[in-house]
Amino acid sequence: MAWPQLRKFILAMKLTAFIILAALTHVSAKSYSQIVTLHQKNTTVEKVLRSIEKQTGYHFMYDKQDVSKAGAINIEVANVSIENALDQCFKDQPLTYKIFDQTIVVKKKDEPVASQIAVAPIKITGTVSDAKGPLPGVTVRVKGSNVGVQTDVNGKYTINAPDANGTLIFTFIGYTTKEVPIGGKSQIDVVLAEEPKALSEVVVVGYGTAKKVDLTGSVGSVGAKQLQERPQTNLEQELSGKIAGVNVSSNSGAPGGATKIRIRGYSSINTNTDPLYVVDGVVWTEGGNAINPNDIETIDVLKDASSTAIYGTRGANGVILVTTKRGKKGGTISYDAYVAVNHMFKEIPVLNSKEFMQVEDISYANIKKYDPTGWAAGDYTDRNPVTQRTALIGKLFDQNLNPLYDVDWQKATTRTSVSQNHNVSFTGGAENVNYGLFLNYADDEGIILNSYLKRYNVRLTVDNQIKPWVKVGATLNYNYQDGRNQDQGTGGNNIPRMLIEMVPFIPVRYPDGTYGKRTDYPNLEGGDNPVAQANEIQSLTRNRIFSGNGYLNLNLLPGLEFRSVLGVTTSANYNPASQSGLVGGPVAGQSYSSASIEEFNRTFWQWQNYFTYNKTFNKVHNVNFVVGAERQNYQQLRLKGSTGTLSDDFYQYYNLSAGIVPNKPESDYDAWQMQSFFGRLNYNYNEKYLLTLTGREDGSSRFGTNKKYGFFPSAAFAWRASQEDFLKDNKTISDLKFRLSYGLTGNSEIGEYRSLANINTVGYAFGGNSAVGTTQTSIGNEDLQWEKTAEYDLGFSLGLFNNRLNIEADAYLKKTKALLLNAPLPETSGFQTVYKNIGKLQNKGLEFTINATPIKTQDFTWNTTFNISFLKNKILQLGASNDDIFLAPTFLSQFNLMRVGLPAGSFYGYKVLGTWGTAEATEAAKYGLLPGDLKIQDTNGDGKVSAADKVVLGKSIPDGYGTFSNNFRYKNVDLGVDLQFNYGNQIMNLTRHSGQDRTGQANSYATVLNAWTPTNQNTSIAEDRPAYVRYQTEIYSTKVESGNFIRGRAVTLGYTFNDNILKKLKLSRLRVYAQAQNLFLITKYTGYDPEVSTYNSSSNFTQGIQFYDYPKPRTFLLGVNVSL
Amino acid sequence: MKFNLKKYWVGGLLLILAATVSSGCKKYLDEKNKSNFVKSTYFASSNQAQTFVNGLYNVMYFFQNGDAYGESPFITLELFAGHATSLGQSVNNGNVIHQRTDAVNPGFETVWYNCYKGIANANLAIENIPAISPMDDGLKKKLIGEAYFFRAFFYYHLVRLYGDVPLIVKSQSVNSPDLYPSRTPVADVYKQIIADLQAAEASGMPNTDATGRVSLGAVKTLLASVYLTTAGFPLKQTENYAKAASEIQPVLGWYSLFTDYAYLHDNAHKNQQELIFQINYLVGTQTNAIPQLTIPFNLLVGAYGDHLGAMIPTNQFVASYEAGDLRTQERQFYFSSYPQYGNPSNIIQFGEHALYKYFHVESAAQSGNSDENWTLLRLPEAQLIYAEASNEVNGPTADAYAAVNAIRARAKLAPLSNLTKDTFRQAIWTERYHELAYENKAYFDMQRTHMAYLPQSNTFADPTASQTEQNVTFKAQYYLWPIPQREISTNSKLTQNPGW
Repeated sequence: MAWPQLRKFILAMKLTAFIILAALTHVSAKSYSQIVTLHQKNTTVEKVLRSIEKQTGYHFMYDKQDVSKAGAINIEVANVSIENALDQCFKDQPLTYKIFDQTIVVKKKDEPVASQIAVAPIKITGTVSDAKGPLPGVTVRVKGSNVGVQTDVNGKYTINAPDANGTLIFTFIGYTTKEVPIGGKSQIDVVLAEEPKALSEVVVVGYGTAKKVDLTGSVGSVGAKQLQERPQTNLEQELSGKIAGVNVSSNSGAPGGATKIRIRGYSSINTNTDPLYVVDGVVWTEGGNAINPNDIETIDVLKDASSTAIYGTRGANGVILVTTKRGKKGGTISYDAYVAVNHMFKEIPVLNSKEFMQVEDISYANIKKYDPTGWAAGDYTDRNPVTQRTALIGKLFDQNLNPLYDVDWQKATTRTSVSQNHNVSFTGGAENVNYGLFLNYADDEGIILNSYLKRYNVRLTVDNQIKPWVKVGATLNYNYQDGRNQDQGTGGNNIPRMLIEMVPFIPVRYPDGTYGKRTDYPNLEGGDNPVAQANEIQSLTRNRIFSGNGYLNLNLLPGLEFRSVLGVTTSANYNPASQSGLVGGPVAGQSYSSASIEEFNRTFWQWQNYFTYNKTFNKVHNVNFVVGAERQNYQQLRLKGSTGTLSDDFYQYYNLSAGIVPNKPESDYDAWQMQSFFGRLNYNYNEKYLLTLTGREDGSSRFGTNKKYGFFPSAAFAWRASQEDFLKDNKTISDLKFRLSYGLTGNSEIGEYRSLANINTVGYAFGGNSAVGTTQTSIGNEDLQWEKTAEYDLGFSLGLFNNRLNIEADAYLKKTKALLLNAPLPETSGFQTVYKNIGKLQNKGLEFTINATPIKTQDFTWNTTFNISFLKNKILQLGASNDDIFLAPTFLSQFNLMRVGLPAGSFYGYKVLGTWGTAEATEAAKYGLLPGDLKIQDTNGDGKVSAADKVVLGKSIPDGYGTFSNNFRYKNVDLGVDLQFNYGNQIMNLTRHSGQDRTGQANSYATVLNAWTPTNQNTSIAEDRPAYVRYQTEIYSTKVESGNFIRGRAVTLGYTFNDNILKKLKLSRLRVYAQAQNLFLITKYTGYDPEVSTYNSSSNFTQGIQFYDYPKPRTFLLGVNVSL
Repeated sequence: MKFNLKKYWVGGLLLILAATVSSGCKKYLDEKNKSNFVKSTYFASSNQAQTFVNGLYNVMYFFQNGDAYGESPFITLELFAGHATSLGQSVNNGNVIHQRTDAVNPGFETVWYNCYKGIANANLAIENIPAISPMDDGLKKKLIGEAYFFRAFFYYHLVRLYGDVPLIVKSQSVNSPDLYPSRTPVADVYKQIIADLQAAEASGMPNTDATGRVSLGAVKTLLASVYLTTAGFPLKQTENYAKAASEIQPVLGWYSLFTDYAYLHDNAHKNQQELIFQINYLVGTQTNAIPQLTIPFNLLVGAYGDHLGAMIPTNQFVASYEAGDLRTQERQFYFSSYPQYGNPSNIIQFGEHALYKYFHVESAAQSGNSDENWTLLRLPEAQLIYAEASNEVNGPTADAYAAVNAIRARAKLAPLSNLTKDTFRQAIWTERYHELAYENKAYFDMQRTHMAYLPQSNTFADPTASQTEQNVTFKAQYYLWPIPQREISTNSKLTQNPGW
C-alpha cells in the first residue's frame, strides 16, 4: 500500500475509533497530563511528535502537508506537561494542536482574522456532527479566504466570516466535504456524511456491510489502490497474492490468461470449485475477464463459512464481493494508463537441424536391435533417412545432405508485443445526486503471433437521495471483449506444442512463399508449422456483455431500512473461427478449410429484497438484523453453425454458406433457477463481544424433485480483547481480537439436468440420408441433493505498537460431506457414472498475514507484507466401495487419482529407475526388454510390469503458497518489490511423452541427446529408436517435476509529483511509474513456468498438469495516474 | 402523516416479499430442459419410438472410434488374431500383439461399456414401445424387433469376448436390484440371444433393406452365426450346426455377390447386393477414421490428417493366398503403392501391404473425411456359414460346394471339388480367412474352433502350440478378453477371467 493511502487509512481508523468512543461515552476534553522530557536540536516536527508518542503513549494525528511546512525545531524541556512541551515546540511554527482523550490532533495555525479585510464580518457559531453525534476536529473554512477554525470536542465552532454572503466549507478526513452558504445566518449546524472512502475500514459482507473491527468471520479486503499496484487486464491476476488463503494461479501466458482461483482449498471433487462472484450485490455470471479492474473500489473475499453462509448454497468455495467505483461529489477527472512491452521469458532447449538428423540416424540404425525380424525382412529399407533426404535435395537438403534450414521455432512464432490500457473516469455530483462515468480501453497483445485480447468497457453510475427516506441508484455496464486465441486445442498439434515439436530443418516458408509442413519430410507426423497456424487459423472470442443493476433504499423507520436490488446481465458471446486451406492437411487444399460461428446468448437476473434493522439498546446492546428473500434465474441458448471445405479462403467465417461440406446446425438450452430466504443477526455487547447468526434456505432447480431445498446455518463469535479494561491502556497491544465460527455451506454447481434421466439426440444415416435418433445418456437420480461443507474457523488479529505491526491468523477445518460425486456405476447398467451424494473430503489450513511498517520517518518509509497459507487436503470417503476414481484428463492412461486417504489430485503412474544396462540384459529380458530400454519399478515383484505396479508420484495441490511484498518510499519516490512463492506440489509434465519418450516423428527436447548408448548407460532416457518400431511411454516418474518456485512478480518504481508542481499543472494527482512483471523465476521446473495447467476446464484437479502451454512473458510497463 | 406513509410502505413491501415467496414456489424450481427429453416423459408417440430405435444404430459407431495412436476396437480384434502388425505409436496395440496387455487396456472397457449401453437402450425400447398408443401395430412390432436384434447383437459380442457376462434384460435405474450384477453362464446368455433373434425374426421385417436398417436377412445371418458359434467352443452344442444351415439357407438367395471388390468400400454400393448389414456413415452426420487408421504410417496416401498404420497385414498372410487369387492383386483387397497425395507423379512404395479393402477412394481424393461404411455381415459369410454348417451335418454337398465356389470364382480361383468332410472344413476355414480377412471374424473363429491359421504352411493348428507371424505363442487366456479392471473395481460381484 502506498504511503499516503496507508497514512490516511490509519488516520481514519484512529479518528473513527475515537469518534465512536466519544459518541458513546461523551467523554469531555479533559486531558490526562503527562510528563515529557525533550532535548532536540534542529529536528523535524515529526521526530518531536514521535518522541512524545514514545514517552506518553499519546497518538498524534496530523496532515503531512501542514507539518512539512514547519521549520526546524529546537526544544529543551525536562519534566514538563505535554501541553507545555507542545506549546514550546510550536511557538514559532505555523502549527497548533488539540488534545482529545489520548489523541492529539496537530493542525495548521489559523491565520489571524486581523489580516483579512473585514467587509461585513459576521460571527457564526454551530455544531458539526455526523450520523452518530458531534464531530470534533472538523476544519471550518470560509471559502476563498484563509479564515479557518476547528470544531471542539463537542463539535462546536465559532468563526468570524468576512462576508455574510460567503460560503463555509466543512472538511474532515474520512468525510465528504460540505459547503454551506452563510446567507446571513449566525448559526449553521452541519451534518457530515462519511465518505465512501471510509469503506476501507468497512467491509462488504453480503447483503450489507460491517465495520472491520466488528467482523466475526474471516474476510480479506483489497482496495483499488492495491489492485492497481500491479496492473493487469485481468481482475483475478491482480488479486493474486493479496489475500492469504486465496490462491490465484495464472496458468497461461495467453492474453487474459487462464486464471484459476481457489479459496481455502478444494471442497469438492466433481462440482465446480470456483468462488462465487458478486458485483455490487448481484451475482456475476460472466467471469473475471469481463470486469475492468480499474473500475473496482474494493474487493472483499469471504473465506470462512460464517461469512459465506449468507450466500448459502453457493458459498462453499468462498465469495468474492466486488464493489465498483461510484460518483463523488466535487468533480474529478482521472486518467490512468500504461503501456507494456512483453517478451518471451524463457526458451526450452530443443534439437537443432543437425542434432535432429543425428538422432534420426542413430534411431534408424537401432532398428536392427529392436526389430531384428523386420529389419532382416527389409521392412524398413524404404524408411532409410539417407534415401528420404536424397529425394529432397534442393528442397530441404543440399547435395551433401546437409540441411538448408535451421529454424528456431520458439523465436519464429513469438514476438515482443506491446500492450496498452487506458482508463478515463469522470465523477461528480450535487447535493443529493452523484454520477460516475468510467471508460476503459485495453489491448493486451500476446507474445505468440497474432494473439490478443481487447476490452472496451463503459460504466455509468448514478445515485440519488430523492427524499431523506428514499435513495435510488443504478449502474449500467457495457463490456465488449475481442480476443484471438492461439493456444486452443490442447493435445493436438496446436501452436504451443509445435513451438517444441516442429522440426528445425523445415522452413517457415519456402522461397516460393508456401508454408513448410511437417509432412514435407517422410516419417514425420502431420502438423503445420506454428507460424502458419498463427496466420491461417483464427479462433476468436467476441463477448458482449450488458449489465444493469438498480437499487432502491427506503428508510422506513429510524434504524429500519428496506433495500431492493434488481440486477440483470445479458450477454451475446460469439466465437467465430476459420481455418484456411493452407493448413490442416499434408498439402494445401480447400478441403482442409473450415469455418464456424458459435454463439451463446445468456440472460441472468437476480432480484433481492431485504430489510435491515439497526438499533442500540441501553447503549451497550447493538443489534443489526437482516432478513430477505431473492430469486435468481439463468438461461442460455447456444447456437452453432459450421462448415468444412470453403470454396475460397476469402470468405473466412463471414459466409458460411460458401462451405461445400456443411455440418448440421446445433443449438441447445440451459437454464437454472434459485429461490432463497435469508437472515442474519449481528449482536455486540459494548463492542467487546460480538455474535453473528446467519441462516439461508436455498432452493435450486438443479436437484432431485423432492430435494430442492437446503438450509445453511452458521454462527460466529468474536471477542475484542483490546476493548477490555486490562488491555485498553496497553501501550504495546493496540488491537486484539479472537474469532471463532462454524457454518454450513452448500454447493450446487454441478451443471444442469444432473438429476434427470436424460434422453439426448444422436445421429445416424439411413440410405444416405441423415437421421435423428435418441439414446438415454444418464441414469437419473431423483434423490440428488445439496453437497454440504461444514467449516470451523479460529482466528485472531493483533495490532502492536500503535498498529505498526499487524498480525492476522486463521486456522480452519472444512469437511465436505454428501459430495456431489460423479460416482462410478457398473457399466453393465449401460451408464458409467451417476451423480450421487456420496463421499467426504477434508481441507484444513492455516493462514497468516503480517503487515508491518518497520521504518517510518518523514522521508523514508518501509512497509512490508507477508502472507502465507498452508493447506492440507484429504479424501475421506468415495463411492459405494471407496474404489479409486480418476478424473480428466486421461493421457496415456488414467493418472489423475482420487483415492481415500490421499490428497485429491494425486498423480499415479510408474516409477522409472533408469535404463537397463548392458550388464543387465538377462534381467531386462524377463520383462521382454533390452538394454537401452527404460527400467521400470516392478513394485509388487511379480516379474512383470503391469498396472498393479503403479505408485503415487506426486500431487497437484501445494502445501503452501504466499506473497512477500515490500514497499519503500523515499520522499517522492516509491519502490515496490513483490515476491510470490509456492511449494509442495508437483507438475505433471506430459510433454515428455512426445518430446522425450519418442524421437523421430517430431522434434524433441535437447534432453534426448543424453539418451542411452552403450557408452552412456547412466541415464533415464531410453536409447534412440523410431517410435513406430517400439518404444515405451506411460505416466512415468520422469514426467513429474517439482512445482516449487519463487517469482519476482513485480518490481515497481514510482514517482509522485509534489503539490506545488501539481498546482502549476492544475492537477490534483500525478504519478508515473515503471514496472517489471515476472522479472525472475527461481525454480527447478524445466518447462516455461511451473504455475501452469493446460487442462483448466477438464476437471477440478488439473493444476500443474501440462501438455504444451502458452509461454509466459516478462513484462515491462510504464504507467501514469493523473487526476484533476 | 409522513410516518403513516412509511407504515404503509412497510406493509406493502412485506406483501411484495410474501408474494415473491409463495407464488408458484415449487414450479419455479422445476428443471426446464428444452433441448432434450427425459425418460419419464418420453415414449409418448410413434415418432418417439422410431427415433429411439434409430438411436440404437448409433451405438454401433464405437467399433470404429479410434484415437490418434491407432487404437480402435476393430483393430484390437484383428491384433488378437495375430495376422496384423501395427506400425504406429500405440503402446497398447504393441502390448496386444506381443500378448502382454492387461485388464487396464482401455479398449476392453470401450467394448464392454458400449455393448451394455446398447443393451440398456434396447431394454428401454422393448419395455416402453408396446404401451405407446396410438401407434401402427406393424411399425410397433418391427421397431421392437429391431431392438431385440440389437440386444442380441451386443450380447453376442459380449459373450464371445468376455465369457460369462451379467445378463441384464430390464432397464436400469439407480435403485435397480441388479445394478451390481454377477456373471451369468455363457449358455444362459446364448439362450437369451437366440430367443431375442427369434423374436426379431417374427417381427415382420423385409428380407433385405437397402437403407441400412436391420432386415430379416441380417437377423437370420446373425442367428446362423450364433448357432455356428454355439456348436463350437465352449458350448459344443453340435446339434446347432443343422440349425445354422437351415437358418442361413434362405438368405443365400436374397443377396448377390458384387462383380467388383471396389464396391465393398465405395459410397455408391452401400447396403446393396452382397452387403447384408453395415454400420452406416455419412459426411455431416458421422465420419470415421477407418482409412487413416489402416493406411501406412506417415506416408501421404490420401488427404488424411493422420496416417496411422495401425493395422497392416503381415507379408506372410498376404502371401498365403493361392497363386492367381484376384484378391491379392494390387488394389483389390490390398495395395502396396499409391500416388502421393498432392503430388501424384510420385508413386509411394509402402514396402508392405496395406488394406485396400478399407481404403476410401472418395475421401482420400477430397476431404479426408471418410464416410465409408463398416460391413458387419455380407453374403460370403452367409455362404461360408452354410457351407461349414451343412458339411458338419452331411459332409460336402453340392449346395455347399456351390456356396464356396461362388466366392472362389469371383477371386478367379478354380472351384473346390472332391473333398472329404475334414478337408472341406479346412478349405472353408481357409476361405473364411482369405475372403473375410480383417473383417473381425478371425479372432471369433479362433475362439469357436480353437484353431489358428498358419499362413506359412496354409494349415490350422492349436494356437497355444504354434507361433504367430509375430513370433508369439498364443496364451490360453487370450481366448477371452479380461473383464475391464474398472468394472471389477466398481462391482465386487464380478470375477476376472482365468489368467488375467
